[in-house]
Amino acid sequence: MGRRNTRGRRRAQRAKSVTHAHGEVGRSRSFRCARCRLEVPADAPGTAHRNHCPHCLTSLHVDRRVPGDRAADCRGRMDAVSVSARPDGEWMIIHRCTRCGGLSANRIAGDDNARSLVRMAVRPLAAARPSAADLARRVLIDL
Amino acid sequence: MSTTEPIPVLRTSTFTCVRCGLTTAVLDPAGARRDHCPSCLSSRHVVDRVEGGSADCGGRMVPISIAVPRGDAWRLIHRCTRCDELSESAVSTDDNHLVLMRLAVRPLAEPPFPLDLFGEV
Repeated sequence: MGRRNTRGRRRAQRAKSVTHAHGEVGRSRSFRCARCRLEVPADAPGTAHRNHCPHCLTSLHVDRRVPGDRAADCRGRMDAVSVSARPDGEWMIIHRCTRCGGLSANRIAGDDNARSLVRMAVRPLAAARPSAADLARRVLIDL
Repeated sequence: MSTTEPIPVLRTSTFTCVRCGLTTAVLDPAGARRDHCPSCLSSRHVVDRVEGGSADCGGRMVPISIAVPRGDAWRLIHRCTRCDELSESAVSTDDNHLVLMRLAVRPLAEPPFPLDLFGEV
């Protein structure tokens, strides 16, 4: 985690006359992960809408209802909570905002960390805590 | 809403599932208020999570995955079939275990990369 002043409320930034973007106006070509501070290029193999860090799968709450609308004023960190499979077999990551509890879904990219993905996929079945493990065991016994 | 003393009218009230038509009690065995059918786990989009308050969509919500935040109990993630909004809710004890287990293993059944390589790393 980088150094950030979380004590005082930050002064609003001045409106900038120059956007430091190369492609689309106002969008930069890379972003820094909110959790592991990895500098991530915005273009990813396999998807045109990268919104999470390929290393720790963390995202940022910037979109409100429509992906890409940048209308949310929460800006909280979104942790990956689960993986869901589409009917066509593609994996989606479900993110949950740590600040406001908002949810979002995004397709996985080709360079996403496979170990983190599998760890998240087996988490319902893994014996992380007695409560979850008990539920999984009871379910299996019932079947 | 998991109060120890539920409102008396909730104890007798029921709702009908929009998908399978099952009529179930509003309260689950633990005394918490249900928001999905215990048989097919479908729900209805009546709560707006983004704005807060009630939603006027009313679409059917299908369960898409199971989340385990911080090693606690399972939580069910729903997606609205009409407006694609996501919601989450707690799993109650009498939810259909077959459907729950199918949701939990569905990502592992069709992995995007070969899982047998994980034994070597």
